[in-house]
Amino acid sequence: MGIMSRLKKFITERSPNVKEIKFTVSRIKKSPLSIMGITILVFFIAIALLAPILAPPGHPSQRGDPYRIPKFGIFPAPQPPSEEHPFGTAQWQYDIYYGIIWGTRTAFRIGFIVVISALAISLLIGSVAGYYGGIIDELLMRFTDIIIAFPGLILAMAIIAVYGPSLDNIMLALVLVGWPGYARVIRGEILRVKSEDYVEAAKSVGCSDLRVIVRHVLPNAIYPIVIMASLDIGAVVLSAAALSFLGLGPPPGYADWGQMISFSRGYIYANPQDPLKYWFTWVIPGIFIFLFVLGWNLLGDAFRDIFDPTIRRR
Amino acid sequence: MGLRTFVIRRFLLLIPTLLGVTLLIFAVMQVMSPVERAALYVTSEKDAQRATAEIIKKYGLDQPIHVQYFIWITEVLGGNLGWSTKTHRPVLAAILEKAPATMELCIFTLPVIVFAGIYLGVKSAVNRDKFVDHVTRTTSIIGWSLPSFWLGILLLAIFFAYLGWFPPERLGTANLDHVLSTQTSWIDYTGLYTIDGLLNGRFDITVDAIRHLVLPVVSLTIQIIALIVRVMRSSMLEALNKGYIVAARAKGLTKNEVINKHARRNALIPVVTLTGMLAAGLLTGVVITESVFNLNGLGRFAAYAALPPPDLPAVLGFALLTGVIFVMANLIVDIIYAYIDPRIRLG
Amino acid sequence: MTHLETSLTQRSGEDNAVENLLSIKNLEVKFYTYEGIVEAIDGVNLNIRKYETLGLVGETGCGKSVTSLSVLVLVPPPGKIEGGKILLKTKEGTVDLLHEKEASLRGIRGKDISMIFQEPRSALNPVYTVGEQIAEVLVNHRKKEFGERALKQIENDLSKGQSITDFIYRFEKKIYQKIIDNPNAFSLKILSRIPIVSRYQRRLNMETKKEIVRILRDMKIPDPDRVAEMYPHELSSGMAQRVVISMALGCNPKLLIADEPTTNLDVTVQAQILALIRELKVAFNSTVLYITHDLGVIAEICDRVAVMYAGTVCEVADVVELFKAPLHPYTQGLLESIPRPGKRFTSIKGEVPGLINPPRGCRFHPRCPNAMEICPRKKPTFTEPAKDHFVTCHLY
Repeated sequence: MGIMSRLKKFITERSPNVKEIKFTVSRIKKSPLSIMGITILVFFIAIALLAPILAPPGHPSQRGDPYRIPKFGIFPAPQPPSEEHPFGTAQWQYDIYYGIIWGTRTAFRIGFIVVISALAISLLIGSVAGYYGGIIDELLMRFTDIIIAFPGLILAMAIIAVYGPSLDNIMLALVLVGWPGYARVIRGEILRVKSEDYVEAAKSVGCSDLRVIVRHVLPNAIYPIVIMASLDIGAVVLSAAALSFLGLGPPPGYADWGQMISFSRGYIYANPQDPLKYWFTWVIPGIFIFLFVLGWNLLGDAFRDIFDPTIRRR
Repeated sequence: MGLRTFVIRRFLLLIPTLLGVTLLIFAVMQVMSPVERAALYVTSEKDAQRATAEIIKKYGLDQPIHVQYFIWITEVLGGNLGWSTKTHRPVLAAILEKAPATMELCIFTLPVIVFAGIYLGVKSAVNRDKFVDHVTRTTSIIGWSLPSFWLGILLLAIFFAYLGWFPPERLGTANLDHVLSTQTSWIDYTGLYTIDGLLNGRFDITVDAIRHLVLPVVSLTIQIIALIVRVMRSSMLEALNKGYIVAARAKGLTKNEVINKHARRNALIPVVTLTGMLAAGLLTGVVITESVFNLNGLGRFAAYAALPPPDLPAVLGFALLTGVIFVMANLIVDIIYAYIDPRIRLG
Repeated sequence: MTHLETSLTQRSGEDNAVENLLSIKNLEVKFYTYEGIVEAIDGVNLNIRKYETLGLVGETGCGKSVTSLSVLVLVPPPGKIEGGKILLKTKEGTVDLLHEKEASLRGIRGKDISMIFQEPRSALNPVYTVGEQIAEVLVNHRKKEFGERALKQIENDLSKGQSITDFIYRFEKKIYQKIIDNPNAFSLKILSRIPIVSRYQRRLNMETKKEIVRILRDMKIPDPDRVAEMYPHELSSGMAQRVVISMALGCNPKLLIADEPTTNLDVTVQAQILALIRELKVAFNSTVLYITHDLGVIAEICDRVAVMYAGTVCEVADVVELFKAPLHPYTQGLLESIPRPGKRFTSIKGEVPGLINPPRGCRFHPRCPNAMEICPRKKPTFTEPAKDHFVTCHLY
């Protein structure tokens, strides 16, 4: 068969899929919230990618690390926004604008690394538990239950207390705390799919276990996970920001939004005459955290509305 | 199976779960060296300073792991959670001292979250896609996306710094002096200033305490309520689709009766299970809220203890406590769940 | 067979002497969905005569359930009743259900017209006992009656003359008088919420419970006291359906709408329930609208039959007449396709049309072996080619 006819055959065979994808896209286009979410995220992705152009590193105070916010002087008090420093400077003259731009990269890093790592671990454990069942399932689920028994942030705090505060430790702690949640859902989905007829059909024609899992079970179990993950990226960034705010994150001067707010803790209430004088030090990073998380939440919500079969056809 | 049997069974299940919780904390402890771990056993300042071979011997820190675990559990059950290096007193004492502030915050926040959340969720579902629904969903998604600590700071900036209405901390300076000093006639019945104010006959202190609680409660509520509203809404929508709704209306019941009597009870079921997560969110939120508003409670204590150099006994003690609270909360949730949904009892 | 006798008594006389309990005139229902406007019911006309069992038969999706829900004015969104009249004959005269206020409709639902559903367990709320759910419909409509009975009890107690409890009884008497006068009074609602005072409801509840047990016993449910305390998931589907029937008949309705009540039951249970419905109809003197897709059931229990297709009524006739001499091509095709040993398996060619863009004119014309030129252009109306036998077809 020639390439063109092979391609045509492929497309006609897959045409129900194509139709579904088209339908999904049209649903996305119809929902204003998901469009807003996507717009926000595109905006942030652009900033992250263009960071070196928008805020060029290379200032001597950075000592070669682009994630260190450059200092422009020795004056202790924050300075309001000006031409040179569009968002102003925090105490000891750290440039806020720079911190925001590179903080975007940090936020994406945190979000993706934590969620993808947690997903990887939980996929492994959850699939094994769900697919094989029996005592393996029992043991693994007891284990995840114990971790879930703790409020996440507090366990994360304990881990960071033991290992010391840093951005990497935050990510480590959040992964350790987060994977059981996914594992539970994955296992649940696999249990549900496992009992479906098409799985039995596949097995009865001799498909190996692995093939059944990968080709039949996972593709059907994946939707709730996708929704969870996209909502979680926002939650992870919030948790990381909260931990930074408490002082358990990267050192002062690091380009991380949460850290920037923590840094300005002393300057929130400036003086009785003009209490909000230094608003820019904490309002601006906060707005960016909010928008970033909002974008992911809108996207996750939109995904849920779109992929949930009972709502889909309304 | 009746409700009673179910409750008994569920209580029995408590033991292995609590066991697991302790095991986890113990596992985290093993990361530390024996010298560091000693601080988790000692009971006096003197001992804490000299983590010598004596102490290691005394608490069996050189013994095999299962023996150590047994010794540790015995100590914990006896009330010894170690010595808090930052507050210079036994961890348990520190926890008891700081618990009231946290309890006060939670007692006021929980009902607000639950009732407001359920109400908004029901209203949202019943008026699906109308104005009420959109407003509720938008506000809850915004609330869910705001950094909790930032919201608190924002509220403080507007309502305290700018308007001066609702201050942080638990009481104004004058009242605080009165309450804390040993000279005055103040008796600390519960440690909750709102209640103690009434019990001591100082209504103005109660009012002051309430005034100081407004912002923390609002801040904490906004953080968590979005979750309840969302789950309540979706489960309500599901319940409204069920057959018994039409059947009930065919019997001649009003729309409101059907919503409140039939749909809501069924819709509450998933929400009740959510309460477990609610407890978690509350405990987490408390850490942040207390830190932002400078309330002398367990949350702020834990955050402070976690900063380097870490006060590990305090942090681990706090983690253990929250684990236990969480497990108990889930137990209560399961029982309520079985009460509401008779189908569960047969499982 | 009983239905022959009843239909004979009805046909003795002219048509206008036969009273219509319910008349559906030109009903139009549309569903506004994402994919388009579904024209679910397109000008349905149906008359249900007093004391008859009218069968409503048709394939899945032809609009039988929507029609029945329209009678109760309970079409769920995104559906809307767009036009037509549904006339119910009451003691006071005739009311158009589609133009009645919600409050009076509520008085009718469950009392004058009630419905039993296809899946008995999903019609019952899983978190309430069976007794509680039956009580709902009883209390809603018959509170006054129970109040009167309770009042008699109070009088009885008062006459026994024990002075200690006398004042309680007198208080209760006042409340019950109020219940009899105005069962839905706001003051009663408040009283029922106050903890100790609300104990007055004890008497009411006892009367209600007695009635529930009596009804359940009438439904041939064994051990009704115990069953009343059970939850729906603890019952078999046969029992559950009996419970649903008892809810429907609890207030002695004039019209009972049975929406495929036996479809999801085993054949043996089905036979029992059918027998039960037949008995109850005679005992309660009610009219039954029996909706099903099963022609066998129609043959067994109905006096007259209406055949529906794609949101329209094709044919209405006496049941024996319909089976003997079907006039509408669809009915003919339907009867032809009943599998019989020795006969080749046939079916009506084509598919049931989607109702977003239904066929113009007569909705059956694309599949009709007798389709003529006029069929796609004009919608046929009811004609009466034989006595009491109505068809909507251009052939007649």
